[in-house]
Amino acid sequence: MSAALAAAAPPAGRRGHPLVRRIGGRVLALLAVALAWEGLVLLFGIRPFYLPRLSSVLGAILATPGAYAAGFLRTLAETLIGFVAGGAFGVAIAVAFLRLRALRELVFPLFVVSQTIPVIAFGALVVLWFGNTLLAKAVIAFYLTFFPVTVNALIGLESVDPRQIALMRSFGAAPRQILLQLQLPSALPQIFVALRLAASLSLVGAIVGEWFGDTTGLGVLLLQAMYNENVVAIWAALLVSALLGTGFYAAVAALERRLVFWGAEQ
Amino acid sequence: MLKRRHLLAAFAAALLAGPAAAAEPVKASLRLKWLPQAQFAGFYVAAQKGYYKAEGLDLTINPGGPNLLTENLVATGADTFGLSGGSDSVFAARDKGLPVVCIGVSHQVTPFVFVTRKDGPVKTLQDFKGRTVTTWFTGANHVLNAILAKEGIKPDEVKIQPQQVSVTPFVDGATDVATATYYNELYAIQSRVGKDNLRTFVAEDYGVTFPRDTLIVSETTLRDKPDLVKGFLRASIRGWRDAFADPKGAVDTVMAIAPTLDRAHQDFMLTEVKRLMTAGAAKERGLFAIDPDALAKAQDLLLQAKVVAKPVDLKAAFDSRALDALSAADRQL
Amino acid sequence: MTAQRSLAVQRGVLGALLLIGLWEGVARGFALPAYVLPAMSDVLVGVWAKRTMLAEAAAYTLAEALLGYALGALIGIGLAVALSLIPAVRGFVVTAVTAVNSVPVVAYSPLILLWFGIGVASKVVMVALAVSFTLFLSTLAGLDRVDRRSVDLMRSFGAGRLALLWRLRLPTALPLILAGLRVSTVRSIIVAIVTEMLGAYGGLGWVIYQAVLQIDFVQVWAAIVVASAASLLFFGLVGFAERRLLFWRAT
Repeated sequence: MSAALAAAAPPAGRRGHPLVRRIGGRVLALLAVALAWEGLVLLFGIRPFYLPRLSSVLGAILATPGAYAAGFLRTLAETLIGFVAGGAFGVAIAVAFLRLRALRELVFPLFVVSQTIPVIAFGALVVLWFGNTLLAKAVIAFYLTFFPVTVNALIGLESVDPRQIALMRSFGAAPRQILLQLQLPSALPQIFVALRLAASLSLVGAIVGEWFGDTTGLGVLLLQAMYNENVVAIWAALLVSALLGTGFYAAVAALERRLVFWGAEQ
Repeated sequence: MLKRRHLLAAFAAALLAGPAAAAEPVKASLRLKWLPQAQFAGFYVAAQKGYYKAEGLDLTINPGGPNLLTENLVATGADTFGLSGGSDSVFAARDKGLPVVCIGVSHQVTPFVFVTRKDGPVKTLQDFKGRTVTTWFTGANHVLNAILAKEGIKPDEVKIQPQQVSVTPFVDGATDVATATYYNELYAIQSRVGKDNLRTFVAEDYGVTFPRDTLIVSETTLRDKPDLVKGFLRASIRGWRDAFADPKGAVDTVMAIAPTLDRAHQDFMLTEVKRLMTAGAAKERGLFAIDPDALAKAQDLLLQAKVVAKPVDLKAAFDSRALDALSAADRQL
Repeated sequence: MTAQRSLAVQRGVLGALLLIGLWEGVARGFALPAYVLPAMSDVLVGVWAKRTMLAEAAAYTLAEALLGYALGALIGIGLAVALSLIPAVRGFVVTAVTAVNSVPVVAYSPLILLWFGIGVASKVVMVALAVSFTLFLSTLAGLDRVDRRSVDLMRSFGAGRLALLWRLRLPTALPLILAGLRVSTVRSIIVAIVTEMLGAYGGLGWVIYQAVLQIDFVQVWAAIVVASAASLLFFGLVGFAERRLLFWRAT
């Protein structure tokens, strides 16, 4: 999944293409889990109030596929906007912090404080400021995302060997060149660690954001199911959230593999 | 020449724009107390059938959620109308100086009961002593305390605990008495324990009434746009009348908005909500009737519980003038 | 060094003062009602007025958060270290953990509340879930940061897997593990509070929920200030420990 996992995968060419093997393995693992789920519930007679059968959960999704599809798309949109905004802002502000020590010392503590405030505590304010719009949820996703990216990007940027910077400088490289050619590429593995975290955090933001009064979204489905004590519907919403979460996480990880091919040697 | 053309154009535009502007529906929103469900069917029916449009309202219905306070959103102007928690939240809002006014009461009687198993140790209210009773600390606890007080039971003689999200602890016998709304938890408990195996304690039997689900609006809206408020009430009552006449169609409307809801539960909910909305003062005076006596009683209860610091001006907090201004035909069920 | 440190502290304090001043100015200047944004001074007065109640609630929440934090850290780091020793099962475990984590922690809250009730247990489980994944990921990434040449060098001296882990991998991973621990401090308290707001017997989240219902927004913000202070304290302590443990990086 991650660069770490890719690095740990056995050398290619033993049995077929590694990607095919990996996907094949995943599908098998999923099937095994699905069978185990269904089997265990039947075998131990687990009450559906704790764990319903997978087949009834899938049945619930198939009964109203439109609702789950609409929820999926809506939450995906909120997550994406929040993730992109949070990631871009996080990296940009880390670069600014690296350049301007005074700014960092002035603002960074406030960032830390901002992260200690549970968003859910001022839901009314978010609705007040942004209404029941998609933007309101994206803002919450952004709020949860930007900080880990800032911290990790800063760690990455600062861990660049000062001798390498000195070397580039001695060749007359401008600060911009040093940033683009040395510092950012070196920080990339660290930034991606944060982006993978941010992938799940932005989804958290989107879902929690939907708890402030909305009609569409996976968060709405979860909440509705919880208060109606409809355990099958909770699991259905969870499964769809898992699909969204895994897909998004895998996409970020795939991007990481593409961009950080040197990560393992770092 | 040029000037005259301008004038003419302006005149023509004014002529065209005049009636058009009047016909242009006014944007407004209704904030519900919770997510879409049959509890709010009438509003959705009215919106779907264009009743609000007919009154010149372009109404958006915004669902509520945990931790969202309808009074707050209406007071700040984020929403025009609100279906808020109930008389308790209106009193609390007025007590805290929020400029909101209640213009109608939806549930005329206490919408929740205290439930116990028939074969359990609790036969009468006296048996609550020493037992575990779970309730919501969102208003229901005051009703519980009030009925206990009427029977001369002190709150510390009963083990009162916050109620779980789930009714499972009650179903499993971990608690003796649970609180249940007629339209939600009671359905879940009945379907899991069996209707005939339950005993219920109704607040009204002990002389306590706690009207809930209140329609609210800001003081400014009520003062400056009385016609908007009247139009909203007229259309909402029309929607509810239709919902009660055709419950199947009404649940269809709700399910179209929230398709993952359980149909049987929603049918049950609408039946129960109809009973709550048409009880008490609504019997003679129509839906959303404001019953000053019931509200005065509810206020006494909250004053005793010290939730409200001092009595609020009931006439200012619950203003039935908009409702009274509607014709009898508009208000009848 | 110390001069620079004190300058940094001064700037940090200045930043905080600027924000508080801005907040106070906006709230007073626009005469915002408390239900929009209460003035910071009112909030601080509120904190003082309700100090006993807030301190009790904070202790309740902190206990939940700390328990869950310790449990989650143990599970997360332990699992990552174990995986580095048994690479054969790594692919499967990482897939499974990623799948579980890809569902946002809050989405589990309905289930966890149904399963574990609204008492302390559900909060501990929620916090542990949140913390363990962060640490699993950080530790795994940290353990992988090892320079291959160093590994080869140590291997050529006959070092076994355990020796490699103890002498090379863990020290290399330490900065990332500690960063994960630091980030998780705040998360643990927030997750505890968020879960409390959905149902609890006590704690800051419960206080916030009750205060919203009673339309007491000064109390809402007072509880938020206390929550924030508690998180900062926790964060600061772990950060302090981190600097102590990473002393060699400063030079």
